[in-house]
Amino acid sequence: MNIQDNYLKNKKNIFFSENKDIQTHREKLINIFENDGFDKKNNESLKNINQKNFIDFKYRYLISEETSVINNNQENNYSIVSVNGQCSSFKDDKIEITKILDEDYNDFSKNDTIENNDHFVNLNSLFLNSGFKIVIKKNNNIKIKISNIITDDDLTIFQKNNYICEEGSSLNLIEEYENKNNSTSNILNVIKLEKNSQLNHFLIQDNSPNHNLIITSHSSCKKDSTYTQKVYNFSEGYVRNFHYSELIGANSEADLQGIFFLKDNNTSNNKTFVKHLAEDCKSNQVYKGILNDSSKATYFSNTHVDQVAQKTEGYQLSKGILLSDNASYFSKPELKIYADDVKCSHGSTIGPIDENAIFYLRSRGMSKIAATKILISSFINEELSSIDNEQMSEIIQKKLVRYLSKVK
Amino acid sequence: MFLEIKDLSVKIENKNILKSLNLNINKGEVHAIMGPNGSGKSTLANVLAGKEDYEILNGRINFKDNDLFDLNIEERAQEGMFLAFQYPVEIPGVNITPFLYSAINSKRKRMNEEEIDNLSFAKLLKSKASDLGINIDMLKRSVNTGFSGGEKKRYEILQMSILNPDLAILDETDSGLDIDALKIVTDGVNKLKTKDNSFLIITHYQKLLDYIKPDYVHVMVNGSIVKSGGSEIAAEIEKDGFQKFQ
Repeated sequence: MNIQDNYLKNKKNIFFSENKDIQTHREKLINIFENDGFDKKNNESLKNINQKNFIDFKYRYLISEETSVINNNQENNYSIVSVNGQCSSFKDDKIEITKILDEDYNDFSKNDTIENNDHFVNLNSLFLNSGFKIVIKKNNNIKIKISNIITDDDLTIFQKNNYICEEGSSLNLIEEYENKNNSTSNILNVIKLEKNSQLNHFLIQDNSPNHNLIITSHSSCKKDSTYTQKVYNFSEGYVRNFHYSELIGANSEADLQGIFFLKDNNTSNNKTFVKHLAEDCKSNQVYKGILNDSSKATYFSNTHVDQVAQKTEGYQLSKGILLSDNASYFSKPELKIYADDVKCSHGSTIGPIDENAIFYLRSRGMSKIAATKILISSFINEELSSIDNEQMSEIIQKKLVRYLSKVK
Repeated sequence: MFLEIKDLSVKIENKNILKSLNLNINKGEVHAIMGPNGSGKSTLANVLAGKEDYEILNGRINFKDNDLFDLNIEERAQEGMFLAFQYPVEIPGVNITPFLYSAINSKRKRMNEEEIDNLSFAKLLKSKASDLGINIDMLKRSVNTGFSGGEKKRYEILQMSILNPDLAILDETDSGLDIDALKIVTDGVNKLKTKDNSFLIITHYQKLLDYIKPDYVHVMVNGSIVKSGGSEIAAEIEKDGFQKFQ
């Protein structure tokens, strides 16, 4: 079924289909799909994509009987269970959680650059069926853990979440994606950091082989705000991590990091894109991958420095270890600099594990497999040792041990 | 015989490096191999340690009644062979202490000895490091990462003293060391010497042999040992160079 027929057939189950402006925008998106088709060669968002799974999909969405749960048992600590992308409303003096509204649709979804390049964001806008909005109120410092649960097989979740960190607020956000169902989640997180706010965002992805996760985020940082994102992808199913950040206020920072652990025939596509639109801003984009068996990954990183963004510091790094001759990792760093007083760099190193290091460790009595495992751990040591949340650190270590147990 | 190398020929990438090399080392002996650049000294050290880049064309090596070629790299180490690397490998992110703890226990396991506990190991490491003038802070760092040339060599000797090998091969351990560091390193080696272990010291220069007295000196040229004798050979090389042996 083509995109238009699929949309028309399921329109009644899709958010905001009665809104005329949104309807007009969706017609435009349908035209893009109809006119541009799926040009795999020239569109980064389609690399390594199985079109049947993602474009010619069968739409199915259920509002679950299980309801979402919000707890704040400890002061400033909230835990949320989101079910099929939905979350109940909640309000206290620190945070407010609501369903997303028509007015939230426009954020990022109506972005010309994205509309022309990222089919998955367009699909999210077109088939939107779930999502929530969380506002962290001014000058509050809180922690939120969100577990994303999918209740049934063959569901197609198109979810949009808006996070707003008001002025002077600080949010530590852990998102867990651990699903066993044969379903597809297409999630768009739109994050707004007001002046002098901070968000540390951890995403733990550990889905089973039949669950596809497409996650896109767009963060915009106003003056003196900092957005840090750390992605840990242990999923055995397909994962797409595309993360965009805009530094719109002076002295703001974006740090986008990710580690992925792939095996079997799994694929992961990754992209980070930081736009420097104000002066004295810093960005960091670092992705590391460990690829075993016949797994495949791509990583596109991009720093765009606008001509007003003087005194920019922008760094990119991509590193990969290939544990098998059949594994492949394609990395493409890009810099576009239109200001003249900047410090920017990019680097990429991909290759097998260092044989000299293996020999050195074995010559001290360590087995080859133990030496390989210790070198994999050391490859990501910097990222793991920088996790300052004990609970997170334990979770990641356990998943790493599980991954390493399969390395032969 | 503790180590017996018989008629050993080895090549790498179609280049013959070792050619019918013979060498015997008994328990408690210190042997030195001297030779010009490219004579095959480091190849011999690497072949003994089990590096897999080389093709063995001919010959055999027996070590403590084992056919060495039946043992892989780690089994050789666990049997008591130790190679102090000419260029120790930097391994960022691998902390020295747990790495050495794992190494010593892998050897003890093979020898059917009880594993050393954490506390005893920490004491042992601290005492050996102190003997070698190694700062305790250095033990918190990653293996060889950011070490100076002298620190790397000292750290090799620290590993050797912890693992207490039966046969230690020192591949140009003197290279890159100033005189003070050379004294510390050679003192460390001399403290380890007993009647039950043996040393094979590979060097270009006599200087090292002023501090570690060898029982035998061998001259290696073009992949073979062309002359063997006592310390007088080292003095002869120091005076006249390797030209006369080529």
